[in-house]
Amino acid sequence: MATSESNFKVSCRKIWKIFGPHPEQVKQALKPDMSRAEILEQTGHVVAVKNVSFGVRAGETFVVMGLSGSGKSTLVRCISRLIEPTSGQIIIEGEDVTAMSEERLRLLRRRKMSMVFQHFGLFPHRKVIDNVAYGLEIQGVDRNTRFERARNVLKMVSLTGWENHYPGELSGGMQQRVGIARALAVDPEILFFDEPFSALDPLIRREMQDELLNLQKVMQKTIIFITHDFLEAVKLGDDIAIMKDGEIVQVGTPDQVILNPANDYVREFTKDVPRSRVLSARAIMKPCDVVCSENDSPEQVQSQLQTYLSPIAFVNSENGRFLGILSRAQVDRAVPTVNHTVRPLVHDNQPTVSPHTFLSDLLSIVAATDLPVPVVDSSRKLLGSVDRTAVIMALGGAVDSS
Amino acid sequence: MVRWESVSGYIQIHRRDVMYLALLVLILLLPLIVDSISTELTEFPEAWDIHLREPLDDFQRWTIRNRLTHPLFTWFFDPLSDAVDFSIRQIESVLLWLPWPVVVLTAFLLGQRAVGLRVALFSAFAMLFMGFMGLWDEGMLTLALMAVSVIIALLIGIPLGIMAARSDRFEAGLRPLLDVMQTLPAFVYLIPVLLFFGIARVPSVIATVIYALPPAIRLTNLGIRQVSPAAVEAARAFGSTGRQTLFKVQIPLALPTIIAGVNQTIMMAFGIVVIAALIGAGGLGNEVLIALQKQQVGRGFIAGMAIVFMAILLDRVSYGFSQQQTVSNAQHSHGFHLLPNSWDRFAVVRVFEQGVDLLLTSCARLSQAIAAGVATLVSAIGAAVGKREAVRDVANFLQGHAFLVSSVLLISGLLILHAFAPYGEEFPKAWVFDLGQPVDVGVEWMRDNIYQIGDTSIGTGPLSDFLLIYTLNPIRAFLQDWLSWPLVILGFAVIAYSVGGWRLAIFSAAGLFAVGLMGLWEDSMNTLSQVIVAVFITVLIAIPLGVLSARNDTVEAFLKPILDTLQTIPFFVYLIPVIILFNVGRIPGIMASVLYALPPGIRLTNLGIRQISNETMEAARAFGSTPRQTLFKVQLPLALPAIALGVNQVIMMVLAMVVVAGLVGGGGLGLLAVKGLANPMRDLGRGIEAGIAIVLIAMILDRITQTWAKNREIKGHH
Repeated sequence: MATSESNFKVSCRKIWKIFGPHPEQVKQALKPDMSRAEILEQTGHVVAVKNVSFGVRAGETFVVMGLSGSGKSTLVRCISRLIEPTSGQIIIEGEDVTAMSEERLRLLRRRKMSMVFQHFGLFPHRKVIDNVAYGLEIQGVDRNTRFERARNVLKMVSLTGWENHYPGELSGGMQQRVGIARALAVDPEILFFDEPFSALDPLIRREMQDELLNLQKVMQKTIIFITHDFLEAVKLGDDIAIMKDGEIVQVGTPDQVILNPANDYVREFTKDVPRSRVLSARAIMKPCDVVCSENDSPEQVQSQLQTYLSPIAFVNSENGRFLGILSRAQVDRAVPTVNHTVRPLVHDNQPTVSPHTFLSDLLSIVAATDLPVPVVDSSRKLLGSVDRTAVIMALGGAVDSS
Repeated sequence: MVRWESVSGYIQIHRRDVMYLALLVLILLLPLIVDSISTELTEFPEAWDIHLREPLDDFQRWTIRNRLTHPLFTWFFDPLSDAVDFSIRQIESVLLWLPWPVVVLTAFLLGQRAVGLRVALFSAFAMLFMGFMGLWDEGMLTLALMAVSVIIALLIGIPLGIMAARSDRFEAGLRPLLDVMQTLPAFVYLIPVLLFFGIARVPSVIATVIYALPPAIRLTNLGIRQVSPAAVEAARAFGSTGRQTLFKVQIPLALPTIIAGVNQTIMMAFGIVVIAALIGAGGLGNEVLIALQKQQVGRGFIAGMAIVFMAILLDRVSYGFSQQQTVSNAQHSHGFHLLPNSWDRFAVVRVFEQGVDLLLTSCARLSQAIAAGVATLVSAIGAAVGKREAVRDVANFLQGHAFLVSSVLLISGLLILHAFAPYGEEFPKAWVFDLGQPVDVGVEWMRDNIYQIGDTSIGTGPLSDFLLIYTLNPIRAFLQDWLSWPLVILGFAVIAYSVGGWRLAIFSAAGLFAVGLMGLWEDSMNTLSQVIVAVFITVLIAIPLGVLSARNDTVEAFLKPILDTLQTIPFFVYLIPVIILFNVGRIPGIMASVLYALPPGIRLTNLGIRQISNETMEAARAFGSTPRQTLFKVQLPLALPAIALGVNQVIMMVLAMVVVAGLVGGGGLGLLAVKGLANPMRDLGRGIEAGIAIVLIAMILDRITQTWAKNREIKGHH
């Protein structure tokens, strides 16, 4: 437990947030199976966040997805203590945020984390450049330095030339770019995004999502992203946590959530997902039963194939790179004639796919062959294989539970 | 859905109201029964008079005796008094020392900066008018008094407002105090300060500061609290300290509201500085006062005009500053600078406006060039001293504020010139002309011809008689003679109970009883009868006009400048035209009250109807309602909360004015208060009693009508 936690950049342990006059008492008296509505009726308190725990690795994008009123915005504010959690711990780089002094917390907010808001939260009385430079200004950074830095981040979000305008003169999408630039200007390690794109038009929203993905490729920040849009969560998240009534009902990678929804609530969201463009080979690939080396003899391979009752064998080179596949028929034919290794039998024109290949692209490949298609990573290390059945079943919404 | 529920709730309320109404009728009929038993109940028993005035008068004599020796005075009131007096003298002497053309020019530049050429020209005219009328010195004194009061009020009010915005507990403590302060008629503030500061300019300033404080506190508090929570949260999320959030985010964003508070503070201060002539403040108000006392209407009329012009100047300029917005590229209005835009069909007008525009743009170019020159100079000096970095911000500021830089340069140039070759020390005597004489002639003519037109019964005289004989006297007789005092108290208690429950009923009854205990029953009923008549007339005019202006944009556009002006005029000044038309007595006071209280009545009715959502109105039309049906079934019911609030304001303003009308023979509580102010050695105790009675009646009327207005609000609406 302790070792795994130290791998996380941010981790939350048993966070509770109860709104009302006596949150502590209510929390003590709470029975675990009581619903929010019951608690509200009996105590007059609102349980916004209920015993939430999760961890976020450095450099990953962790998405918290939930409908309005699910407590996601409260949760993200608890992490930076914009809202004081009722109980629980928030550990950022091994330090307990809930135990920090006001002074220490301020330092954390100034140097380590920053936030992008749903309705932008820009300062309407400050020019764009002064908005972006705000975080540096309150740290006492001198004017030239902070303006130079602000111009750099404005360039990153393609707003060069708008420095001396006021936020009110910009479109919504541009205002949120300013919001992002303002968050980036202090060069934080952790970024909180509170539904940053939900106030934007669908087209602009998609554009901003793509831009964030591109930025993140370069920046590698630790991002905690709040959204009510499941598709956005799937698109942006390395991991997704789904919240309902203040609780996390499921945490996992987008593929895991789509393929194995924890309950009907989650399944309802996954219905609208265009699976062919979201699910990738990694999500549906199966381990290869028979993996052999190019130096093995046909007899050795044959016996393995018989053991596993497998129609094909995957052949790796001496240094562990994938070479190609052998069918059972090929092996059977080779046993009496070739007496050294299987190497000469293997053709290197075997099609392979990367684990990130989406189902839409896999379809044409599996259609062209009856054999399973090997999945290899960028160094041609064999990860698994996908076959036609797995692709078709995943598209249909079912998952091969084996 | 909501609408139907509210309508059914409405009917229930009506049923309850009917019950109370029956009870009231019963009370009104009771005198017949009581009369048969005893007649003594009509007057409040004299034996019960607690003679509060005596200890008050004793206290005043004590303060006079101990003024020089008691530490309370030597260590607190006197130093305070000296400091205030010192600042008035300083500001007044600066204003009087300034060559008059410089003062006029400053007013012009302020108007130009705040709004535009029209206001600038008006400002210059308002200042010149005082000069032409021989009121320059009086005007400067009034300005000085007001400036000192406003500065003190802001120095206290803005920090208090900030504190109230940052602490809910502090605000909760302050709110009832501010509520009471805003309920009291301005007049009342003058009385208690006399006890501690004697007669002169200092107590006027103290009273003004207290009176003008609430809007400064309120609007600062409101402005900061209205700053979007998102902006404040963003500031916190980036690790701002409380102080950084306050100064970098909250105050800048609250600034327009805070300046609106400054505008209100200035207007309220001006109103009371004028009336403070009653306790010896001097200045323009004194002219009006003398005119009222000596019946020199012409003189008062001129001073009144000067006050009105000054008030409009102060209002437009300070309001203009509160409306200035943050935009990067200064937006030019495409309209005309001087003449109405609708005249653009005349070629002459277009040519003229083009000329004005050319003049203004060249002035702007020139000032920019000057500012750039100054900025270059500063940069050069900075470079020479070796502080290039530090000076750059200053240079940037100078370049960004071309108007300010050029104005300051221009004025200092004129002052330097004055140092070498003095000019404009005094407004040229030869230019002063006496407008009082012709005005008096006009007034005589009006009295002769309008008071009664020919032999007909049309004119202000018969109107006045009619009101007196058929409304005022019967109502006063009803309150004073017909209803015995316990029934008046009981009647108020029943109304208060039906509106706001037991606490309000007990408060109202106790308040009225206290008025009786001070021996002021008769006077209070006299004042109350005037209030009732004035409120009735005001509402009768205001609601139809409000409805009309809500349904017709032309009417609204026509009324707007009139209402704006009426609301800007200090209430003291209203007394002048009404005594021209109605002579002295109770009627001019009522007429002044009606004029004074009309604007909020009209405006809130108009607003209430206009803020009804388009969708609701479309729904009414879609079902085929006639305009009349729409008005009575949709608009008026939905506007009722706003109209009720308007009635509340009408009552409070009428009360404030009726009391001041003691000056022009209104009688009642106002007269006692005026006497107390005019002759504090003899009548101050009685005056303070009257002041307390006014405060009590004001609070009772306010609480009852405000609770009533709140009850009209539709649940779940807004």
